[in-house]
Amino acid sequence: MVKSSGSDDARALIRSLRVAYSATPTTLKIIDLYVCFAVLTALIQAVYMGMVGSFPFNSFLSGELSCIGTAVLAVCLRIQVNKENKEFKDLPLERAFADFVLCNLVLHLVIMNFLG
Amino acid sequence: MATSGWFLTLTLALVSVLPLCVAFSAESPTDRRILVLVDDLSIRSSHSIFFDSLKSRGFDLDFKLADDKRLALQRYGKYLYDGLILFSPSIKSFGGSLNTAAVLDFVDSGHDLILSADETASDLIRDIAIECGIDFDEDQSSVVIDHISYAVSEKEGDHTLIASDDFIRSDVILGEKKIEAPVLFRGIGHSLNAANSLVLKVLSASPSAYSANPNSELSSPPSLTGTAISLVSVVQARNNARIVISGSLDLFSNRYEKSGNEQFVTELSKWVFHERGHLKAVNVKHNKAGEKAEPAMYRINDDLEYSVEIYEWSGTSWKPYVADDVQVQFYMMSPYVLRTLSHDQKGRYSTSFKVPDVYGVFQFKVEYQKLGYTSLSLSKQIPVRPYKHNEYERFIKAAYPYYGASFSMHHLSVPQIAGQSSIYLLSSDRTNFLWNFDFEKQISEL
Amino acid sequence: MSSASEETTKGSTLRNAFGGVLGFFILLLIGILAFSIRLFSVIKYESVIHEFDPYFNYRVTQFLTKNGIYDFWNWFDDRTWYPLGRVIGGTVYPGLTLTAGTLWWFLNSLNIPLSVETVCVFTAPIFSAFAAWATYLLTKEVKGIGAGITAAGLLAMVPSYISRSVAGSYDNEAVAIFALIFTFYLYLKTLNTGSLFYATLNALSYFYMVCSWGGYTFIINLIPMHVLLCIVTGRYSSRLYIAYAPLVVLGTLLAALVPVVGFNAVMTSEHFASFLVFIIIHVVALVYYIKGILSPKMFKVAMTLVVTIGLAVFCAFIAVLVALVASSPTKGWSGRSLSLLDPTYASKYIPIIASVSEHQPPTWPSYFMDINVLAFLVPAGIIACFLPLSDASSFAVLYIVTSAYFSGVMVRLMLVLAPAACILSGIALSEAFDVFTRSIKFQLPKALRMTDSSAGDTNPESAALPNDVKPEKHSSSDKTEDNLKERPSKKNRKKEKENIEKVAIKPKHEKKKRLLVLPLEASVVAILLLIILGGFYVVHCVWAAAEAYSAPSIVLTSHSHDGLHVFDDFREAYAWLRHNTEVDDKVASWWDYGYQTTAMANRTVIVDNNTWNNTHIATVGTAMSSPEKQAWEIFNSLDVKYVLVVFGGLVGYPSDDINKFLWMVRIGGGVFPHIKEPDYLRDGQYRIDSQATPTMLNCLMYKLSYYRFVETDGKGFDRVRRTEIGKKYIKLTHFEEVFTTHHWMVRIYKLKPPKNRIKGKSKKSKSV
Repeated sequence: MVKSSGSDDARALIRSLRVAYSATPTTLKIIDLYVCFAVLTALIQAVYMGMVGSFPFNSFLSGELSCIGTAVLAVCLRIQVNKENKEFKDLPLERAFADFVLCNLVLHLVIMNFLG
Repeated sequence: MATSGWFLTLTLALVSVLPLCVAFSAESPTDRRILVLVDDLSIRSSHSIFFDSLKSRGFDLDFKLADDKRLALQRYGKYLYDGLILFSPSIKSFGGSLNTAAVLDFVDSGHDLILSADETASDLIRDIAIECGIDFDEDQSSVVIDHISYAVSEKEGDHTLIASDDFIRSDVILGEKKIEAPVLFRGIGHSLNAANSLVLKVLSASPSAYSANPNSELSSPPSLTGTAISLVSVVQARNNARIVISGSLDLFSNRYEKSGNEQFVTELSKWVFHERGHLKAVNVKHNKAGEKAEPAMYRINDDLEYSVEIYEWSGTSWKPYVADDVQVQFYMMSPYVLRTLSHDQKGRYSTSFKVPDVYGVFQFKVEYQKLGYTSLSLSKQIPVRPYKHNEYERFIKAAYPYYGASFSMHHLSVPQIAGQSSIYLLSSDRTNFLWNFDFEKQISEL
Repeated sequence: MSSASEETTKGSTLRNAFGGVLGFFILLLIGILAFSIRLFSVIKYESVIHEFDPYFNYRVTQFLTKNGIYDFWNWFDDRTWYPLGRVIGGTVYPGLTLTAGTLWWFLNSLNIPLSVETVCVFTAPIFSAFAAWATYLLTKEVKGIGAGITAAGLLAMVPSYISRSVAGSYDNEAVAIFALIFTFYLYLKTLNTGSLFYATLNALSYFYMVCSWGGYTFIINLIPMHVLLCIVTGRYSSRLYIAYAPLVVLGTLLAALVPVVGFNAVMTSEHFASFLVFIIIHVVALVYYIKGILSPKMFKVAMTLVVTIGLAVFCAFIAVLVALVASSPTKGWSGRSLSLLDPTYASKYIPIIASVSEHQPPTWPSYFMDINVLAFLVPAGIIACFLPLSDASSFAVLYIVTSAYFSGVMVRLMLVLAPAACILSGIALSEAFDVFTRSIKFQLPKALRMTDSSAGDTNPESAALPNDVKPEKHSSSDKTEDNLKERPSKKNRKKEKENIEKVAIKPKHEKKKRLLVLPLEASVVAILLLIILGGFYVVHCVWAAAEAYSAPSIVLTSHSHDGLHVFDDFREAYAWLRHNTEVDDKVASWWDYGYQTTAMANRTVIVDNNTWNNTHIATVGTAMSSPEKQAWEIFNSLDVKYVLVVFGGLVGYPSDDINKFLWMVRIGGGVFPHIKEPDYLRDGQYRIDSQATPTMLNCLMYKLSYYRFVETDGKGFDRVRRTEIGKKYIKLTHFEEVFTTHHWMVRIYKLKPPKNRIKGKSKKSKSV
């Protein structure tokens, strides 16, 4: 692959990605932001663990998994509430949220338990 | 009839209770009733100094002929005596119910024995000695001869009355006062198995001694020579029963006035009848540092205190035992902690240490075996458990970022859910405030 | 049968309701059947805890009910593995104990005063009823209600499962199989609905499974495998993501909460597969998402870019992973798991694992014994799963294939195979009935009419009839199929593609349907055959439940010409120990009897069935295979007071200590090399007669087993080994016999204290 064409392609790709993404509803964008934040926190923690060492391993694990878990659940929610997603057309929004809340509840209870 | 019968029982009861009061016990370990078996009742007078010293110390001597038909050590499962003196070297078989096994059972049930042989020693006496770990010279006719350190006797050239001052160095066995004069000995020698840890040589022959038949020419080198010959030995069995075995009956007799014999046998008899060197340990205690009560279980890395009181029997009362070499082990398959106990001069030994970082079923072990003393073997089982799950450190500094992260996730999810749901639900037609509100409340409660 | 009834009730709500009620009652009856078929052991013997491990669980439950959950969590047991002790709270799977404890507490708070033992005895049958219902749910997700009910019926009485869940068999598997099936059901349910609610339930159910049994690793490997399979075959959907990603995160966290698993949930290789697939599914999800929002051309560009970068990252990741795994001492795999992948691993390297008969590979007859006719129905079920293949049915296929492999490695895992076999056989049977009854239904009126009308008339009519019938039948079958496939059809992301597929498939379907209509006679005969097959299965299961698997193994019976003999020697011996020894006395025996001794005799043991410390077991093995004096020294160093041996030579009880002895030698020799197996074998043969080696004849186990044995019949004929013993007059110097049970099955010896005096030289003087 020639480099210039590759960078051109990449530029075109990024542009089209931006265009496509701007079409997503604001609410979904909020979720995306949320996911990004969670993933970022997870990465920071991983780096911190690399520096400090894995001594309170349970704390590290719960911190890390709480971020990943939150991100995953948010992605699940995003999938479910996305109107473009035909599979979940007949899934009521209330139901999706209720499930999401329940799942978060379980996740955070477990995290609290495991953290100490 | 009834009254007399009742009276009889009372007398019997009194009779049976009375000797029990003074019997050998853990509280007063000195023997009281001693059976003396002799070949010939004349020994009573020929060895009277020895017997008198026993009597003067409060012993109850019961002289019997060794072939007495009514001889019995026990009746109705109870021993009638606390000690046995066998001054009957030539007896072929005992009278009554007594035999080798009975004598050994007597010892194995914790009673003491003085056994004396001489050149006429029978197989029976030799068997008893062998069972106790003492091998008299196999040659039946041999006696100990010493051409250098001997006592002048009636017969010229008879060097079978030998003098020896090669005593065991132990104050507890032979008393604190040094035996000044050598001991005169006429009789047979014996050897000990070096591997046998229970037997001690109290009086050995001089290096020039040997064991042979004095009346015949030496055809082959004698099997027992020099200091390997033991003249008097003591045994302390594992149950702390004590035995003195001597190759000479004359040793105990009145005959050798100027020798150290009298002092030697008196001190030896004090040891063998537990007037000396008998220890007891009481009040074994252990507790967590700073607490009084004894716990059922320790945790790893606990600090604990251990104490035990040790007393020695002085013949009349228990006196504090003072020594600097009592050690305690904290033992599980191997000693994890080994500490020398410090004492307060009043018999109380104590130490404190930290439980090792290993869990399991441990034992406090005191194995105290000192020459001449009864052995102390204390063990107390105590489990050591690991940390409980709520005993670990919490809120570790290094983990604060993780706490922060998970809490930020947690708190972020609340407004996120609230905001998201309200946006969605408001924008959608199917607004359901109540439902929404409920969930928000639930989350904030969390 | 019910699928047939379902066929007839088309559209009619009343009949549907009737079918529902009927189905409910059938399920209820299946539950009762599952419960009651497991009561043979109580009826034939008594209400008693069985075998070895259940005694430990029983003891733990007693502790739990007495001291509460916190003490149980922190329980350090000083009565076992003396002097090491064992941290019970941290080394036990608490699921079973907590379940039974909760059950007991619940019943007691309702003022139903059952003893803990009774609750423990009946836990397994209760949970097998639950397992049957879970099977119904699972199979319903795969192939519909009919198959579900059939599978539940089959599972209720599959011998393999009965063997582990008769009343009294209070072991982890009793509740774990239910948890396993239920977790799989919830996974499929999530997969079919894409609901986070079920995903949460799934994680919780997985948590219960982790609490209950070490077999949870099967789940955490099987589900990623299925996900991977779906991705590879292009069946990725966002439902798959919802079913899998939360499960991994929540499941891992929850698993790490169980003390016995702890950090193993992220540290051992058994769990790595799930993390790998977790990463893969994210990559795939991202790819699908980008594909969704981009035009195809741009997507291609993106793909090339991502693939080049992704490949590099992936390689780096794999390298890190490999390095991590290789740096851990056992390469991250525990011995038991390695023996799964390499069947010869255990017998080669870990005698302690190989010595357990449960860990041996099974023989062919044991397949027939344990799953019976299901073995023949499974292939049919697999085929049925492929017509048509859905996510759920592909899971069923994967499940049967993997569990069949694992069961081939270890007899114990036959238990995991059994539900899979039941599910697939249920599917097969139900499909078969479906086809046969349908063909009967459509040909019956035709046949009746044929008898009515003349031969000439029938020809055109009969030619027309199939055409008449076909659309009707087709629509009906389509309807049912739609009912079943509603979710599968919802699944596919692209409508257009699906439509094309449907169009393409339709003629095929039609063809198939036409083929499926079998001749009347053949169908009737086939149905009869199936019923006979089912009958045979039922007879076999009842026989297995009543005869083969109900023995509690602590009470033995034998039938002889003069009637029934009961051997209650074990309890006799344990009762003797309980009443005649000091509370703190230590009893040494081979590890098989450790749990029973602590539970029934309440005495401290050196080793028990939780074989966590190989060295300790090897020490006991060495003592048993050493001469008396050395053995005495070993036992004395462990503060042992009593030695217990099990001896079957008098009554012919084959699993006694002499038959296990070679394992003691092997395990002992594995740690203490002076014990060599060949010393105990004469020309490679294990024998106890006069040809036995001197080492064998002088070892402690031989002496303790055959001490005074010759007094029983004058010859010393061992009924297990069917030979006369080699050394008949045995003198014990360091041990003394203190108790021998009625049938000599348990013999208890006491260590003599050290000699009070040490003897001098032997009495040579006498002979001189």
